[in-house]
Amino acid sequence: MSVSCLHFSSQLLLLLSFHRHVNTISENTTSITEPRVETPAPKTPPLAPLIPTQTAQRNVLLTGENHTEEIEVVNPVVLNLECIWPGNGKRLPNITGYWTKDGQTIETSYSNIQLENDLYRLIREFTIMNEDDLGNYSCLFGPKAKVKFIVAAPHLGEVRDKPIVSYVGDSVVMVCKMDEKKPQPISWNWYIQNGTNKVQIESDSNAHKYKITKDGNKTKLLVYNLTESDSGVYYCGAVYAVAISMGYMQLRVITYYEPLKPFMGILAEVVILVAVILLYEKIGSRKHGESAGTEENKDETNNLSHRDNDVAVAHSSTRQRKV
Amino acid sequence: MSAEEKPPSVLDGGWGWMVVLGAHISIGFAYSTPKALSIFFKEIQNDLQCSYSDIAWISSIMLAVMYAGGPISSALVNRFGSRPIVILGGLMCGVSMVAASFGSSIIYLYLCIGVIGGSGLALNLNASLTIISKYFLVRRPLANGLAMAGSPVFLCFLAPLNQFLLDEFDWRGSLLILGAVMLNCCVAGALMRPPSQPVVLKKVEDQSNEVSSIKDSCGQNVKKLLDLTFFKDRGFVFYLIGNLMFFFGAYAPIVFLSAYAVSLGVEEYSAAYLLSIMGVVDMFVRPGTGLIANTTWIRPRVQCFFSFAMVFNGMCHLLCPLITSYPLLVVYTVFFGVSFGMVFALIFECLMDLMGNQRFPSAVGLVTIIECVPMLLGPPTAGLLVDISGNYKSMFFMCGGVITLGGMFLFTMNVCRYHTLKKEQSSADTEQAKPTGSANQGQANISEVEIQTAVSVETDPNGRNC
Repeated sequence: MSVSCLHFSSQLLLLLSFHRHVNTISENTTSITEPRVETPAPKTPPLAPLIPTQTAQRNVLLTGENHTEEIEVVNPVVLNLECIWPGNGKRLPNITGYWTKDGQTIETSYSNIQLENDLYRLIREFTIMNEDDLGNYSCLFGPKAKVKFIVAAPHLGEVRDKPIVSYVGDSVVMVCKMDEKKPQPISWNWYIQNGTNKVQIESDSNAHKYKITKDGNKTKLLVYNLTESDSGVYYCGAVYAVAISMGYMQLRVITYYEPLKPFMGILAEVVILVAVILLYEKIGSRKHGESAGTEENKDETNNLSHRDNDVAVAHSSTRQRKV
Repeated sequence: MSAEEKPPSVLDGGWGWMVVLGAHISIGFAYSTPKALSIFFKEIQNDLQCSYSDIAWISSIMLAVMYAGGPISSALVNRFGSRPIVILGGLMCGVSMVAASFGSSIIYLYLCIGVIGGSGLALNLNASLTIISKYFLVRRPLANGLAMAGSPVFLCFLAPLNQFLLDEFDWRGSLLILGAVMLNCCVAGALMRPPSQPVVLKKVEDQSNEVSSIKDSCGQNVKKLLDLTFFKDRGFVFYLIGNLMFFFGAYAPIVFLSAYAVSLGVEEYSAAYLLSIMGVVDMFVRPGTGLIANTTWIRPRVQCFFSFAMVFNGMCHLLCPLITSYPLLVVYTVFFGVSFGMVFALIFECLMDLMGNQRFPSAVGLVTIIECVPMLLGPPTAGLLVDISGNYKSMFFMCGGVITLGGMFLFTMNVCRYHTLKKEQSSADTEQAKPTGSANQGQANISEVEIQTAVSVETDPNGRNC
C-alpha cells in the first residue's frame, strides 16, 4: 500500500511539474521552479545554458528483484531517480551500488550504500537534454536487485507493419498519428531512407512531388507521380524539445503488370473451363442424337417429355398446396 | 408407348446437380460480393479522400440495383433462357470490377461497382433461381438449399481472399483480380444447359390455360415486366407481406452485432469472430434445411416450415437483449445463424412452390424489386433507433418483433389458405379430369399417371387424390 502511495504521489508530482512549466517554456523565460524541497538545486548543463530545465523526481521502492519503470520525457529535464531497496534479508551493513545506462556501467556512479532504517537508498541525478540522454537507466544493488528506468520520448501508436502498396503514376497518402492522450508534438518531420541515412523531405522545394500536412497529433505525407524509385522506407518524426520520436512505414511501388499476371491466369482458366463444358455438351448431344434413332422419334419423345413436364408441374404445384 | 419407355424425366438428378453447382457459384457471388467489398473501403476512403458513409453507399447501391433489377432480369430470362443471361451477368460483373480499378472519383465507383456490377448480379441471381425450378421438382428444396448455401460459402472464401489481395496489390489491383474471379460466373452459366427445346415449349403453352404464356414479341414482354396480376393470387400477397416484414428486420442485427458485442465489453477481435461463426453455421444449415424440407412430412407443409423459421429468427432477436456475457452471445449467434440459414434456404423454394414453374421467373423479379425497399430501409432505421435510445436493446426488440409478427402472419394466413384451397381443389379436380383436347387425352392421362407414380415416391401420399 505504501508503494502505491509513493508511486501515485511521484507521478502526480511529475505531472504537476510539467504542467507548470509548459507556459514558462512558451514565454521563453529561464525560470526554474522547484516542485518539491527534497531535491538539491538542479545543475544547468554546460551546453545551451539558455534552455530552461525542469526537475522531476521518481522514487521506486523495489519489492522483488527486478522492476521496470517507464518515464515519458517531452522537454529537457533534470531527472532525479531514487531506488529504495529493503534488502534481501541478509542485512549487510554495506553494499555496493551503481548505475548503468543502456547496459554500460557509469564508472563514476559506484558508491557504498549504508543500511538506514532497514533500507538501502541509491539516488542520482540525470540531465536529459537531447536524444543521446534518452535510454535505459538502471540502478543496481550489488548483483542482487535492479530497477530499470526507460526514459524515452512518447511513442507513436498504430504503426502499420505491412508495406503500403501503390502504383506507378498514382499518388499515395501516408499517415502518422500520435495517441490523443500523449502530449502533442511541436512539429512533424518526414524522412526518406537513403542508404543508411535519413534524409529529411522538404515539401516546399518539391511541391509538385511531396505535400506535408501537419495537424496537431496527426500528419500526412502525400507523394505524387510515383515511380519505382520511390519505394523504400519512410520515417515520420514527432518533434519534441528533447528528441524526435520516429515511426516508420514501407512503401512499395509496383507497375500494373503485377496484378495483370494473376488476372490473365484466371481469365485463361475461365475461358478453358467454358470451352471444355460447351465441348462436352456438344459431344454428348451428338452421341445422344445418334443413339436415339431417327429424328422423328426424337421429336416425339421431346414433345411427350415436355408435355409430361408441364402437366406434372401443374399437378405438383397444386398438390404441394395441400396440407 | 415411348412415354413409358423413357425414364420419368431429366429432372431431379444427372446434369441437374451440375446446374446446382452453377447456381451455387452464381448465387454465391451475388450475395457475398456486396459484403466482401467492404474490406476495401478503408483504403479507398484514404485514397479518394471521402467519408466512410460515402464509401458505404457503394455496397448499398450494388445491393439495391441487384434487387431492383429483378423484373428486367425475369423478362430476359423468360426470353432467352438462363445460360446466356448468367454468362452476360458474369461478363458485366467482371467488366465493372476491372473498370472500377481505374477509378479516381467516388461517383465513378458508384457507377461501375454499384450500377453495372449490381445489374450483373441481378441477372445472375434471377437466372440461377429459375433454372433450378426447371431442373428439379421432387428434390427441389434440397437443390434450393444447396444453391443458396453459396452465399455463406463464398463469403467465407472471398473475405480472406480480399484481405490477401489488398495487402499484395492495394485496392486497385485487387479489384482487377476480383473482376477476373467474378468471370467464373460465366463458367457457372456454361453449366446451365437449357433443359428443353424452345419450339416444343411454344406448342404446349398454346394448349395450356393454367400457365401464363410468355410470347416472343417485345411488346408483350414489357407488359409482363411488372405483371400485376400476381397480386390477385392470395398466396403471393401473403408471401410478399411476410417477406417484407422479414427483410425489414433481417439485416440490421448482422450490421450491429459486432458493435453490440463491443458495447458489452467483448474485445473487437472476438466480436468480429461472431460473424464468422454465423457464416459457418449458415453454410451447413442451408443444405440441411433443404434436406429436411424434402422429407415426406415437411414437403407439403413447406410454407408452414418457412413461417416457423421466420418466427424462430424473430424470437432469437427478441431474446438477445437478455444476453450479457460472451459465451451466451456465441449461443445467440449460432441460433441466429441456424434460423437465418433456414429462412434463406426456403425463401425461394416457397415462392416456387406457390407460383409453379412457369410463373416463377416473373414472380421472383417482382418480389425482389419490392423487397428492395425494406432491405434498404431496415439498417438505417435500426441505426436511428440505436442513436435515439442510446443502446442496442430497442433495435433488437424492433427487429425481432417485426420478424416474429411477419412469421406468425404468414403462418396463420397459410393455414387458412390451405383449408380454403382443399375445398376448392376437390371441385377443381373434377374439371381437370375433363379432356382439354381429344387428341391429347390418351397421352395426357398416361403421362399423368406416370408422373403421379414418380412424384408420389417422395410426396405426401394424401396428395394423390387428384
